[in-house]
Order: sequence, then C-alpha cells, then structure tokens
Amino acid sequence: MNIPGSGILKGLAVTARNFAGSYVEKDRLTTEQYPEERPKLPEAARSFPFLVYDGDDPEAGMRCVSCKICEKECPPQCIYIIQDRDEAGKALKRPKVFDIDISVCMSCQICVEVCPFESIRMDQDYELSSFDRFGSLMIDKPKLLKSNTYYHSIHPTEAAETDGRIEAERLKKEAAAAAKAAAAQKAAAEKAAKEAAPSVPLVPSQQEGKP
Amino acid sequence: MISSLERVPIDLLHWFLGLVGSFGVPAWILAIVSALIIIGTIIGVFLGLFALTSVMERKILARVQNRYGPNRAGPFGLFQPIADGIKMITKEDLVPRTADWIVHLLAPVVMMVPALMVLAIIPYGRDMVPVELDAGILYFFAVGAGTEVAVFMAGWGSNNKYSVLGAMRAIAQMISYELPLVISAIVTAMIAGSLSPSAIVAAQGGGGFVPQWFILTPWGFTAGLIFYICALAESNRSPFDLPEGESELVAGHLTEYSGFKYATFFMAEYVGMFAICGMFVTLFLGGWQAPLPFLDIVPSWCWFFGKVCFVAFTMIWVRATLPRLRIDHLLAFAWKFLLPMSFAAFLSAACWHYAGRGPLAWILSLAIVGIPYLILGNAFTNRFAVSRRTYLFSE
Amino acid sequence: MMCDFLKTCCADPMKLIGEWFVILPAVILLLAAAASVVMRNLIHAALLLTLSFIALGVVFIALGAEFVGFVQLLVYVGAVAMVIVFAILLTKPDQLTKSRNMLSGFAPAAGVAVAFASLAALLGFIFSSPLAKKPLPATASAPVAAIGEALMGDYVIALIVLGILLTAALVGAAVIAMEDKP
Repeated sequence: MNIPGSGILKGLAVTARNFAGSYVEKDRLTTEQYPEERPKLPEAARSFPFLVYDGDDPEAGMRCVSCKICEKECPPQCIYIIQDRDEAGKALKRPKVFDIDISVCMSCQICVEVCPFESIRMDQDYELSSFDRFGSLMIDKPKLLKSNTYYHSIHPTEAAETDGRIEAERLKKEAAAAAKAAAAQKAAAEKAAKEAAPSVPLVPSQQEGKP
Repeated sequence: MISSLERVPIDLLHWFLGLVGSFGVPAWILAIVSALIIIGTIIGVFLGLFALTSVMERKILARVQNRYGPNRAGPFGLFQPIADGIKMITKEDLVPRTADWIVHLLAPVVMMVPALMVLAIIPYGRDMVPVELDAGILYFFAVGAGTEVAVFMAGWGSNNKYSVLGAMRAIAQMISYELPLVISAIVTAMIAGSLSPSAIVAAQGGGGFVPQWFILTPWGFTAGLIFYICALAESNRSPFDLPEGESELVAGHLTEYSGFKYATFFMAEYVGMFAICGMFVTLFLGGWQAPLPFLDIVPSWCWFFGKVCFVAFTMIWVRATLPRLRIDHLLAFAWKFLLPMSFAAFLSAACWHYAGRGPLAWILSLAIVGIPYLILGNAFTNRFAVSRRTYLFSE
Repeated sequence: MMCDFLKTCCADPMKLIGEWFVILPAVILLLAAAASVVMRNLIHAALLLTLSFIALGVVFIALGAEFVGFVQLLVYVGAVAMVIVFAILLTKPDQLTKSRNMLSGFAPAAGVAVAFASLAALLGFIFSSPLAKKPLPATASAPVAAIGEALMGDYVIALIVLGILLTAALVGAAVIAMEDKP
C-alpha cells in the first residue's frame, strides 16, 4: 500500500532541486542572453556565400576566374556573374559583376561544392536584417570579397584543408613544369650530344642533371 | 525582548493623528481619518505585494524551468509590473455588442470588493488588527462568497456560451471547495475557543523550544493541508486553474475581458490569494508570532509578512510542479476525499483536546487522521487507472 | 419626533451615520426585491434578488446581530443565489431575455393583495405573542459564544432535528444525481 501524496512530494523535490540548482549549476540555466552573449556556432555552420581572396589586395588576390559553374549549378539561381573583358573585348579570367541575392539563397552550399578554384565559400554571419526589402539583400562583389585570413578564422579546418589542396596543386604544377623543363633540357642535351658525338653512348655524368 | 521597530506602524499612525488633531478637528473626523489611513496603508501594501508577486512568480517559475524570468524591464526585471500596467491600461476595452454591458462592467468590481474587504480582519502584528471582530472567521468566509457571484456575472455578461460554461464550472469548483475550507478553519476555532483571529493567534503562543502552532499537531497538519489545498482552489490557482487556463474553453469566464477589466480580475485573484495566505498563517502558522522566544527581535509584522511570502512561494512552487486537474477529478477530490478528511480532522482535534493533550492524545489524534487518509487515498487510485482497452464492435 | 431625532443626530454625527447604516440597506433591500419581481430579464431579476440578500445581511449586521448577518451572507449569497442561478440556466437557457410583462392582467394585483394580507396577519401574530411583550435590552449584543451555548444547551433538540433534515436532503440529492449503473 503506497502512501497517497508521495508522488506529489517527489515532484516537489524535483522542482525544488531545479530551482536551487539554477543558481549554482551551469547546466540548470542554459539560457544564452542573446544580444549580450552570442551563441557558439559549430565550425560547419553556414549562412550565405562569400568570395575568398589571397593576400592583401581583394581585386588582385581574388581566386574566382568567372567560370560561371556556380551560377549554373545554383538551384534557386541567385548568383549573377558578368565576366570581365579587356579593352579589346577579350574575356579575362575575373568577374566584373558578381552578385548574390541572399533573399533567394537557400544556403545549400552547392556552389561551394562545384567550384573548381576554391574561391566561393560559406560565411557564418547571420545578423543580416535590413530595413530595405530587396535592395540591401543583393550583395555585390566588393562586399562579397573577404580575405583568406578571415576564412581561416571562421572555418579553420576547412581553410587549412583548402590551403593544403591549393599548395598541392601548386607543387604538382611546379613539379610538372620542372619535369617538363628537365625533359626539355634533357631532349636539348640529347640533341646536342647526338649532334656532337652521335656514336658515343651517353656519359653517366650527363644523366646526373635529371632531378 | 521586543524590538523598538515593533511599534513603528502604530506610533506613526498616532503621531499623524496627533498632528491632524492639533488643528482642533472633532473626534469623529479623527476617527474617519484614522480609518482612511489604515485602509489606504493596507490597500497600498497589498497592491504593492501584488505588483511584486506578478513578476516574482514569473521569475520563480522560470528558474524552476531552467530559464531566466523577465529580466529586461529594470534591474532584474523588477519594473515589469509597470510595463504590464501600462500595457493593460492602454489596451482597447472590448465589450461584445450583444453582451449585457451592465453586468459585464460590474463583474470586475464585484470581484475586487470582497477581495479587499477580507483584509480587514487579519492580524498583521501585535495589536495590529484593523477591525477587531468577534466573528472574524465567519466574516472572512461570508465576504469571500461574493466572489462566486462575480464569476457568474463575468460568465453571463459576456453573452458567450463558452463563458457561461466556464463560469458554471468555476462556480461548481468554488462551492465544492468552500465546504472543506470552512470546516478546516472551524477546527482551529474550536480548539482556540473563539471565532476571532486574534484569539486564535493568541492560542498558538507560549511555546518554549517548540512553537505551539496548530500546524505542528496531527489534526492541525491535516486541517492546514486541507485549508491550503482549498485555498488554491478558491483562488483558481494551479493545479485548480481549470476556469482560467488558456487552453480550457479559451479563458472560460474571462474570455471577453480585455484591458483594465482583465487587469482588475487579475489583481482581485492575487489580492485574494494573499488574503487567504494571510488567513492560513493566522490560523495554522501562529500569525505574527516568532517561532522561538529569542527571535522576538524581529518585529511581529515582519514575521507575519515573512510567513505570508513563504506560503505564497510554496503556492508558486506547487504551480510549477503539478499539472492541471480535470473538472470531474477536481470535484471528486473535493467531495470524496477532502470533505471526509476534514471531518476526520475535526474528530481528531476534539479527541486530542478531551484526551488531555498528552502523549496518548497525540497518538490517538494521529490514528484518527492517519487511518482514513490511507484508506481514502488508496480507495480512489484504482478508479482512475487506465484499464485495458476493449472494443465493443471489433471481432 | 423627527425634529428631536435630527437634533440628536446633529449633536452626535456618528449616531446619524449609525442610523443610516440601517435605513439605507433597508431601502435598498425593498427596492431591489420589488425590482427583481417586475424585471423582464430573468438573470437581472436573479442578480437583484442577490442584491436584496446582501442588503438584508447588512441590515442584520447594522442592528448588532453579527452572527446572523454573516451567516445570511455566507448561505444566501454564497449558496442559495448560486442555486437559483444554476436552476435558471439549466432549465430555461433560451428564453431568458425575452420580455415577460409581469405588470399586466389580474394576477399581479391579486398577488400584491395576498402579500399584504399575509404580512398583516404575520405582524398581528408577532405583536400579540409573548415575545413582543419582553422588554428590549439596552444595547444589542449577541456574542457568538452566547449563541453557541444557547444552541448546544436550550435548543439542542432543534439543532439535531435540523441536522437530520439536512442529512436526509443530502442523501436524497445524492440518490437523485447518481447515475443508473448499466
């Protein structure tokens, strides 16, 4: 036979523990008071895209080459790119106009996934409300360009990985270029040796120049 | 060891009356001025308590629910009642076109007046009863009955079927819980030998190391607990807030009220809650008396208001803990459990008194209260248990 | 006699206020009761009847019978008025505000005549009874303790009979309200 009312007393004890604990224990009062304390976002949190530039000068260090793959792949079609042309009308590898309409963007990150030049990445800034209904929600190129250092600060792992990839690409290119140069040099040396002494076999010392 | 702060309110009153009397006014005007000052002070104190409680309740509920309460309106949110007051005053006062506007207008008034009138007989401190009535307890319950008329007027005056239904349920709840309330109050009057609250407080005095408060006796504990539960029900507070919960028939009898009329209902509910807490403290917790003799340093009115605030805190704590009762559970609880238990407490108190108030009397009174409690408490738990579901027309 | 009364009252204003505490509620009582009889709206009639109960309670208290006054408020306003209201709402929920003209025809005049005749008869019986010949006490006082002792002493049989009557009523109400078990 149970004592009637014991359940209520247990309930009161739980509530009292919560009440007293909310003053001393951290996890019994988990509210973050918003304007004064911002929430700690996980690293992969994303809001809207931005363009990465290396170095100090945004226009010179911009990684985007205006290939327009992101514009084609974007599901709600919120990216507007116009390629830059020089005085003669020849296409340059940079965009003149790069607008993203963030009132349309759905943060799907497809533009990031398809970019071959690691130039468009997702930002984390969510405090973007404006009083103007559409105008200030169309972000243009100067506002989209943010430095690689900023990218490192918001997505450290991703940025390090991207930098590693770019570095690897660069080294591969250099290696390919050096190999090509060495091969060209070797071919030129062979040709010279053939012209100089065609019947004499190659001297091992000439092969030492190969990397 | 009474401190000098003890007489401060009375001395202030006498000083002020002396000041007014020095202008040569006749005695009857002085009496009226004295009455007005006392009334003004009491109403001011209780409305101040109402304002403080409206924000402290939200903060305490919030802390129980692992969040901050309102903390934007002032330091720690203490100006929240001012913000609420401004909101209530500036809201549009809607009266439905087909509603009975006289009844609709008078209902908040009829609700507020008894809530304030019952504050007249509560002893706030040593020699600090506004009106020394011989039948004070009876006055308290008689005037409190006016609240039921107000609830009906609110429900009827809205010309809304759901309001009328809500009002009927509210009245049924209030009438059902009034009976155990009165009987458990009469238990203390019986032991103290008088219906006057001051006499009941005096009957709880004189203890040494253990205070002789009624709540520390078996019958007093039972009667006190019943009084407390019925007090929650009479003020329509959780877990008995079926009449005015937001999800119950919209807001029941208060559906068509907005703006200041709603604020008046709200105020009447809180002032009534404090009044009945004050009565609980007077009847069962020893009123303005300190628990131990050497604690008399703290003035009597401080003890009284401290105890009232503690009881109000427990009411808020209960609100944060228990879910709302359904109307049939609520009425069954009142008639089938609380009423027999209050009679058991009555019998137990009488046996305690006539058995000489010695150890045997304590054991006897504990048995008279405990056995019905266990029997009645276990008799109903199976009725509401969910049984295996059977389908009449399935194969 | 009226001038003497006014003179004493002006000398002692508290006495005047004391007298008005009886006269005013009595006037409200009569007016509310009369209005409740002729009102067309049934709920307004019930609320005016409640007002007359409250006024009667105040008259009792002002005359010094505190216990009776408080019990009048507790029982009549708290319970009887609510029963009247419930009865109206549960039996005639849709014809409440339709006009019912109480002042036309033969029945109201006959009713008033019967009421006055019975009032005259009642007053006649009261004033010719031995109770009316007892002298009034100088000050009205009915402390609750004295009422309690009288109830438990001289009038205990009446109290017990009333208790049995009320128990019978309660059992009867429970029997009527109990559902038939299927």
